[in-house]
Amino acid sequence: MAVLYELVLRLLHALLQLQRAVLSWFRRRVGNSSNSTTSSGGWRPWNRAVAAFLLLLPLPFSPGPHKHTATHKKLPTGINRTRARFRVVGKPVEKLPLHVGLLVAGEEPRYNDIANLVVWCMAVGISYVSVYDNQGIFRRNNSRLMEEILKQQQELLGLDCSKYSVEFLNSNIDNTDQQVLSCKATVNILSPSDGKSSIVKAAQKFCQLVQQQQKRPCDIDVNMLDSFLQGPKGFPDPDLVLKFGPIESTLGFLPWHIRLTEFISLPTHVNITYEDFFSALERFAACEQRLGK
Amino acid sequence: MSWIREKELSFIERLTANILKAGPMPKHIAFIMDGNRRYARKLHVERQQGHMHGFDKLAETLRWCLNLDIREVTVYAFSIENFKRAKEEVDGLMELARQKFTRLLEEQDNLQKHGVCIRVLGDLDMLPLDIQKLIAQAVLSTRTHNKCFLNVCFAYTSRHEISNAVKEMAWGVEKGLIKPSDISEFLLEKCLYTSNSPDPELLIRTSGEVRLSDFLLWQTSYSCLVFQSVLWPEYSFWNLCEAILQYQLNHYTLQRAREVHREEQVLEQLEADRSCVADLLQQDGTGNLLDSQSKKDLLQKYTAEREKRIHCFLNILQEKRNNFFVELNKNSLASAKA
Repeated sequence: MAVLYELVLRLLHALLQLQRAVLSWFRRRVGNSSNSTTSSGGWRPWNRAVAAFLLLLPLPFSPGPHKHTATHKKLPTGINRTRARFRVVGKPVEKLPLHVGLLVAGEEPRYNDIANLVVWCMAVGISYVSVYDNQGIFRRNNSRLMEEILKQQQELLGLDCSKYSVEFLNSNIDNTDQQVLSCKATVNILSPSDGKSSIVKAAQKFCQLVQQQQKRPCDIDVNMLDSFLQGPKGFPDPDLVLKFGPIESTLGFLPWHIRLTEFISLPTHVNITYEDFFSALERFAACEQRLGK
Repeated sequence: MSWIREKELSFIERLTANILKAGPMPKHIAFIMDGNRRYARKLHVERQQGHMHGFDKLAETLRWCLNLDIREVTVYAFSIENFKRAKEEVDGLMELARQKFTRLLEEQDNLQKHGVCIRVLGDLDMLPLDIQKLIAQAVLSTRTHNKCFLNVCFAYTSRHEISNAVKEMAWGVEKGLIKPSDISEFLLEKCLYTSNSPDPELLIRTSGEVRLSDFLLWQTSYSCLVFQSVLWPEYSFWNLCEAILQYQLNHYTLQRAREVHREEQVLEQLEADRSCVADLLQQDGTGNLLDSQSKKDLLQKYTAEREKRIHCFLNILQEKRNNFFVELNKNSLASAKA
């Protein structure tokens, strides 16, 4: 009997994996075909160009995945108007996160896709972006990621480039001489050592103060520990984490800071489109926080 | 409505349970039981009614977990933030707790039969004194049971728990039991309210919200998170099975990630010990005179001493926590006699 049970379970797991695979294949097909309607060959550059246009679309006209082709047709005529509108309104979504975490869970990290996401975040007006993977790959190769971000920024935002400046934390490259203009984003590349270890370090620091009799044990409370754990340059707590990949877990992403963070799960970051990113932002805007009440 | 329901699964449910059990099963599940109030609104009944239904569902879910051989469940019953709700509702929830813990004390035979150990996690000082006493009685009377464990998070938030752990460690430093450099992830974990449980492998939140709301932030770093849109009072056996299936699909990768993290922790500890020994040698001024063998011996000696310090501190801490309940219980017995 036990063998039979195991067999059925194996079959069930296999079916679920298959469902996942079919879904992701389907999504990719749909993504490709809609792009190929706008160009006859070499869709990749076109994809980028379209994404660059879409960046400038404010929410009321922004496409959900189902309206996909309709908005493409609208683009050429609407472009000047929407670009102007983007400048004036600044924030196209009703409720925009201040700090977005990009979490890659159980996938091979891809630099150009993450760079795209970072640039999109900047373009819609998100001020702080954190990038995380649990093996610390991005942290180890942070200069490569930064180069990629600057490259994508040039490519996607082209003309408007001077409006956006990007600042990197934990890097040797000094970007601060770039003029700070209307849209400024700070990018922070995180690894597991920013999570629990930073809480341990804060605890050690506090206990040293206790040992030196500068503080008493009862002095510590949530606010004080929070001030010890404040991110670099006053990073606020992330209000949205976009999680990419098949693993349903935070994988050690800043445990202290994700108290009220909304987790939105996307199947993959590989070849992610602006529409996917934007519909996640819309989902975030629809979330209601009650803060215990 | 009692804490443990004597109801067997139907044939088809039993079959499903057996199939699921052929795969890796979580040993410990955490629940955020969200949606009681929305359920009440949906049915046009009082909020309190919604919370009552929520409790009934908890009893039912515990039964399912037992049937699935899941021996530990942690539930988010009341957050410190919930004190901000309307006074009526807070009072209603406290009254519900009063009733249920009284009921629990009446059902002790049943709990003993199933070997259920109840733990209440949170800052109990924030609660009315009579509830504190009830909780102390419930905890003390079931603490020797070891077949299954129910952790009720009451007046709890994760940040508060972590701050409290830091406070305990600072107390240890003040008393000279440990040094600030002894503090590690391992020690901090042992100072949390959940020190006696393994981390939950699966966290389930109902009602479609996609955040942790300050629940077990530290403990769920490598847990499978499942957000389900069903309201808690409508939760069914099949919802639970779906969540477990999700867990099974994630099981292998999460286990790997957890192991990698544990290995890193061991290395970090070794590094920390090394730098402590180096500091000590520098203070003595003998650092350069020693050969590598005696340095190794010194490191071993230091590690053994550190482990002893931590062991001793944790024992004292556990005793302190037990005493808290014993004292509360004593007071309540004394007042009952008077």
